[in-house]
Amino acid sequence: MDIDTDVQMEDAVTAHDDSLVDDDHNSSSSESFDFSMNQKYSRANEAPGSNIDTLDAWIAQLSECKPLSEESVKKLCNMAIDVLKYEENVQPVNVPVTICGDIHGQFHDLMELFKIGGPCPDTNYLFMGDYVDRGYYSVETVSYLVAMKVRYPKRITILRGNHESRQITQVYGFYDECFRKYGSASVWKLFTDLFDYFPITALVENKIFCLHGGLSPMIETIDQVRELNRIQEVPHEGPMCDLLWSDPDDRGGWGISPRGAGFTFGQDISEQFNHTNDLSLVARAHQLVMEGYSWSHQDLVVTIFSAPNYCYRCGNQAAIMEVDESHERNFLQYDPSVRPGEPTVTRKTPDYFL
Amino acid sequence: MTSHDYIQPVRRILTEEDLTRWQSSESYNGLVAFIVRLADSVKGKELGTECELTPSVKDILKVLDSIQTIIGRHPVVTDKDISRFGKVEFRDFYDEVSSSADKLISLIDKTSELPGVSKELKVYLVESWGNRTRIDYGSGHELNFMCFLYCLYKVGILDLESDSEALVLVVFKKYLDNMRILQTKYWLEPAGSHGVWGLDDYHFLPFLFGAAQLAPMERMRPSSIHIPDYVDMFKDKFFYFACIDFINQTKTGAQSLRWHSPMLDDISGVKKWSKVAEGMIKMYKAEVLGKLPIIQHVFFGSIIAAPEGVSATRDLSGIDEEHGHIHIDHDPDSNLHLNTFGDCCGIKVPSAVAASAMEKKHFRPVPFD
Repeated sequence: MDIDTDVQMEDAVTAHDDSLVDDDHNSSSSESFDFSMNQKYSRANEAPGSNIDTLDAWIAQLSECKPLSEESVKKLCNMAIDVLKYEENVQPVNVPVTICGDIHGQFHDLMELFKIGGPCPDTNYLFMGDYVDRGYYSVETVSYLVAMKVRYPKRITILRGNHESRQITQVYGFYDECFRKYGSASVWKLFTDLFDYFPITALVENKIFCLHGGLSPMIETIDQVRELNRIQEVPHEGPMCDLLWSDPDDRGGWGISPRGAGFTFGQDISEQFNHTNDLSLVARAHQLVMEGYSWSHQDLVVTIFSAPNYCYRCGNQAAIMEVDESHERNFLQYDPSVRPGEPTVTRKTPDYFL
Repeated sequence: MTSHDYIQPVRRILTEEDLTRWQSSESYNGLVAFIVRLADSVKGKELGTECELTPSVKDILKVLDSIQTIIGRHPVVTDKDISRFGKVEFRDFYDEVSSSADKLISLIDKTSELPGVSKELKVYLVESWGNRTRIDYGSGHELNFMCFLYCLYKVGILDLESDSEALVLVVFKKYLDNMRILQTKYWLEPAGSHGVWGLDDYHFLPFLFGAAQLAPMERMRPSSIHIPDYVDMFKDKFFYFACIDFINQTKTGAQSLRWHSPMLDDISGVKKWSKVAEGMIKMYKAEVLGKLPIIQHVFFGSIIAAPEGVSATRDLSGIDEEHGHIHIDHDPDSNLHLNTFGDCCGIKVPSAVAASAMEKKHFRPVPFD
């Protein structure tokens, strides 16, 4: 593979430098994350070269949709924790960036997304969660995105979705898939432990607030999000839960969500929130929309969904939103990629039928 | 059952402990035995086989026909809310079934001998068609239809000796036909879908009954679901093949069942249909009757009694999930200010704070997505 190694070195080294800078300058985050200075320095002094080779090998393997070994997943998750724990609850992101919604294990469509949007790290990406559950390749999808995150920490941001949770993945497929592919729940455990470190929101140039679900009646300002302790399982209620679960609604005010978690919020709420925080837009994912993106609340909120023909059934297009240097937005829509031949996973009779 | 007091069915299974109690309860055992009995009665039988229909079975078919007529009365207005998944006109259908539920139940002649029975039966009947708010459907709703039939059996309107076979091959078939219309017409979302990792987006029981139908067949193997000619030949005779055909029709963008239905693909590796049939019952117990996200929606009244010692209901707490909205007074200059009970469209509903306090006391159900 012909890759520009200079850029790669720079990225991986920058990550370690940044983690130091972040920590020195951001007292609130050093309070919430408990680690010793020694550990931090020893990590920063590590030669990144061997890690980069390993990461490149993993990325090459994963881009062929071949899952990593359990041992490699363990190493990858540890590396990812070292990167993600220094990120903020409201991770700052610069333009240009391409913002993406739910993927749900549709690995081949994720590859299509990178074709449509341009390869990473040449294009900066911001993913708004829901990498796992329902699709055939959640393991490969989340492994790939996490490996990319560790490899190019400044180029790709991965937020947490409501499916990046222990409880939800046990219901909606990721647990089953890990068990099916690895013969035990250990990889599921490694990833769900990692999910706790994912940032929950991002802020593009202080103007576009990005998150998986939506607003919370307990969050009026973005600073309040910064104060949350996010390193935990997604709670059943409260602000962190709402940010990952809420939906915009045609009705004004706050409503009970039919999902049983989070709230629905009306245009009045979005107006107030965007005004208070001097935002131009809330970008979120979480809901299937037939054209891949959908405006609501008179263009104060946009929903982006990046899993085409969701679950092989919905016939929807997928979309991603490019935001360029001058903050111009451009939506790219795409259809499902062609699935090659048959899946590589071998048949295994479920225990019930033995 | 004269002068029996029928009661409003409510949900009672809220915690893992409740679930354990449910799994060793009389109601659970009765329901499982009922489903197994129905499955046994169709071993080797094909759909479309002539079978005796008793007056009560004919009455149930009238109910299902009426519901099909109701579906027909609520066409999808295509330019409405085009971008959202799930057609909102489903709610009009649902509301009409809901408001005519007593009338629908009264089509079953023998219910007139049991004053008040409609109060319980109609909950199961209405719940059988999906969720009004979320416009979705899953094996929990399908289970409600089984509960409906089970109640009719328990109150003596149905007789398993004479009715079992017809209940599966005719009544359940008719129910499934109605569901297929609803699913395709209103784009119902799969409720709690495991995506490719589930057995099916919507149903479980047609696979269970279908495998029972095929159980005595020695020559045709479960792997034949991959052969298009077999599917075509058997889709009108066996539920299992009808489901495979529906999946092949609705799942797009992949050549093979192996992509979108790995579970069915795995099961197709089993040597004998009889093994599949046995496995389906084990799997139904574990994956449907043993799963809190599904069983938390099961209703208990006097006919299907709540297991002893389970939680008090959350249905009478004043939170009406289906009502779907609450009001919070939001004063940006102060802390979030909440009234405790807003009067919302004439129905008392608690504020978010009251609701969350209530939920803390009662445990929060597993959310949907």
